[in-house]
Amino acid sequence: MQQHEEAAATGGLTGWPLSEFRKRKLDIQFTGSGSEYFRIWIVNLLLTIVTASLYWPFAKARRIRYFYANTLIDGHALSFHGDPWKMFRGHLLLLVLMGTYSAAGHFSPMAGLIAFGVMAAIWPALWRAGMQFRLGNTGWRGLRFGFAGTLKGAYGPALPIWICSAVILLVQMVGGPAGLPVDGKPRFGMVEKVVLLVAGAILLLTPWVIAAAKRYQHNGYRIAAQHGELRLGAGPVYWLSLKTLGVTLLITILMLVLAGAGFAIGMFVLHSPKFASAAAVVGAMVGYLLYFALLGPFFTARFQNLVWNGTTTEDLSFTSQLKVGALTWLTLKNWVLTLITLGLYRPFAVVHTTRLRLEAVSVTMDGDPETWVAGQGSAPQDAAGELAGDFFGIDMGL
Amino acid sequence: MTGQASGTPTLLADYFDGRSARARPVRLWLEHEQLVIHDQDLDGVERRYPIRQVQWPERTRHGQRQAQLPDGGVLSTRDAVGWDDWTAAATQGRGLGGGLAVRWFSSWRHSVVALGVVVAVGAVVWQWGVPAAADTIARHLPASVGESIGDESMDQLDGYLLKPSRLDAQAQQQWRARFAAMVASQPGESTSYELHFRDAGDTIGPNAFALPGGHIVVTDALLKLLGDQPDAVLGVLAHELGHVREQHGLRLTMRASLSGALLGFAIGDFSSLLAAAPAALTHASYSRDFEREADAQAKRLLIDSGRSPRAMLLPFERIGAWRAARTAQAKAERASEPKTLGREVGEHAKAGAGELLRIAFNTHPADEERMKFFER
Repeated sequence: MQQHEEAAATGGLTGWPLSEFRKRKLDIQFTGSGSEYFRIWIVNLLLTIVTASLYWPFAKARRIRYFYANTLIDGHALSFHGDPWKMFRGHLLLLVLMGTYSAAGHFSPMAGLIAFGVMAAIWPALWRAGMQFRLGNTGWRGLRFGFAGTLKGAYGPALPIWICSAVILLVQMVGGPAGLPVDGKPRFGMVEKVVLLVAGAILLLTPWVIAAAKRYQHNGYRIAAQHGELRLGAGPVYWLSLKTLGVTLLITILMLVLAGAGFAIGMFVLHSPKFASAAAVVGAMVGYLLYFALLGPFFTARFQNLVWNGTTTEDLSFTSQLKVGALTWLTLKNWVLTLITLGLYRPFAVVHTTRLRLEAVSVTMDGDPETWVAGQGSAPQDAAGELAGDFFGIDMGL
Repeated sequence: MTGQASGTPTLLADYFDGRSARARPVRLWLEHEQLVIHDQDLDGVERRYPIRQVQWPERTRHGQRQAQLPDGGVLSTRDAVGWDDWTAAATQGRGLGGGLAVRWFSSWRHSVVALGVVVAVGAVVWQWGVPAAADTIARHLPASVGESIGDESMDQLDGYLLKPSRLDAQAQQQWRARFAAMVASQPGESTSYELHFRDAGDTIGPNAFALPGGHIVVTDALLKLLGDQPDAVLGVLAHELGHVREQHGLRLTMRASLSGALLGFAIGDFSSLLAAAPAALTHASYSRDFEREADAQAKRLLIDSGRSPRAMLLPFERIGAWRAARTAQAKAERASEPKTLGREVGEHAKAGAGELLRIAFNTHPADEERMKFFER
């Protein structure tokens, strides 16, 4: 801050209020091309297949480098410094963990329970390590980003879900699996009531968890002397979830109307019961597709705006204006084309979605990025965690 | 400090030292297997790095070129074409940061070849790799896994589709004894199985099927249909025992889950929408081979126990006739009364429940082909 005051004192020849004058909008541009990414994707896929997935981390590093080299912030691309060999170790570690986890449940419920406990206990640590690795290996103008979230902080958002899941498991361990058929009918007793109640609680808690997780993420972001800060209470996320629920209801009504209209036309206009039931099924199917096509983009767009509009650092503020309509239309188009081409359109879809989502964001900067210098080394208080993230190159994608 | 020799290809780029975000204009050239970075602002300041220690960017048509230096510095240029021309000129056309993958994705022709190979490998894996892997897994799984899957399926079927048999205990015991005697007459192999008698109503009709873990289920309707010819019933049971011996239930389960996982991996985000697809895709072709194997086992057991394999012809004939009669009846019903949506949905659901019994006896391959097998 001191530095800026001095610059203002010496450089302010125009007499404008300098704090306003120094503010500048940095545009975010994405220059990737679908056809080029298609070729990278297919060659990556081939190499991954012929090496029985061992090439996967190298393919991933290439993909990230391509997307970073095409993400221009104020004309300067991001750079990815991750070492694919480190990512290879992380890949193996995650494979072993997931494999053990999914296999354990098959052998005995007790093994499954223990595996679940272990997984729940280490997942937040892995999540944090992944962010440390990804951000620590992301650069802009030669400066590395960083992630400074604490290990303790990573467990906060997961705790309520963890407790609820433990209750569900314990109740079923004591009282037998929920919905056990008794005399050909699923039973509905104490166990089922508790499970339903706790499952409802998880559902109600989810928006809070999402808000807490996002706060933890964004508050941990670092570059140069900038510290990320996300002002996002649980309230807006609950409100957004309610609105998403409202959209769900609207689609359901639309689905019923479509099915009913189809049925009515078949029954009373064409007098063909066969046509009526077919039309009703088609109407219901269209509605079902709409669930997938509308709900995701609605929540994604609104949530991105919510999160990034609330994010600031000392000298930066973000604006995200992602339109629900644009994202819905693009998602629908991507889906149809991906289905028609049996998946070959996927790389094009990824590029187009990335462009839309990135270019909806802009950054307002107070000051000049040229004056930024690297932070004083991320504080060594969590050397072990950082080392783990770096050694295993755990990257779960942000 | 030396300047570049005349004639050496050079390039102007931005240099970031990794500590400050200030871009420094530099001139680059290669000299003695080293990259030389000559600062244009602070004249005379030169940095040198062995070419091999620099992380060179891959050549793409879009995106900036960034070279990463071993000390954390970054070289960057927006002029991708200029960068590529310079690396080509400076290395006599070899380029920097190339490799097999880069050569392939730079060319449409190679990319299409890659696509062809991916599709071919995918098809081979789907056709042969998945069954082979599933069979290997099924063979090496501890027996308890197959048993627990079988017990669970049996519980589910009992809960939703099957009712207790209306056959009296004595008749059940008689069939059990007959079949046990037949199995015992075959020397050597012994397979543990459990025979269940159930009433399955009209949707499944006269049938028998085997589940993982050695469960063999016979419906009352089958015993009624073939009861006058015990050898025919025993033939059907022998066929089901063949499924048990060849671990068909477990192999089918493994194939379905593996192909589901593969499809999920290939289609990615769309998995939730298409989750049901693999099951539908895999059954028909899988059960054909399995039925043939079970038929072979049944024929052997019939011959070993001193019976004629022709005993198996009767089940085909009578079940075929029963099915034809039911189809005709259904057609007549459809013609006589209009269907309501509710009934349609109900019947779809019932048909779906029948699909669960993909391992039931009277399915593919075509009956005639299989009957010929037992005639010889």
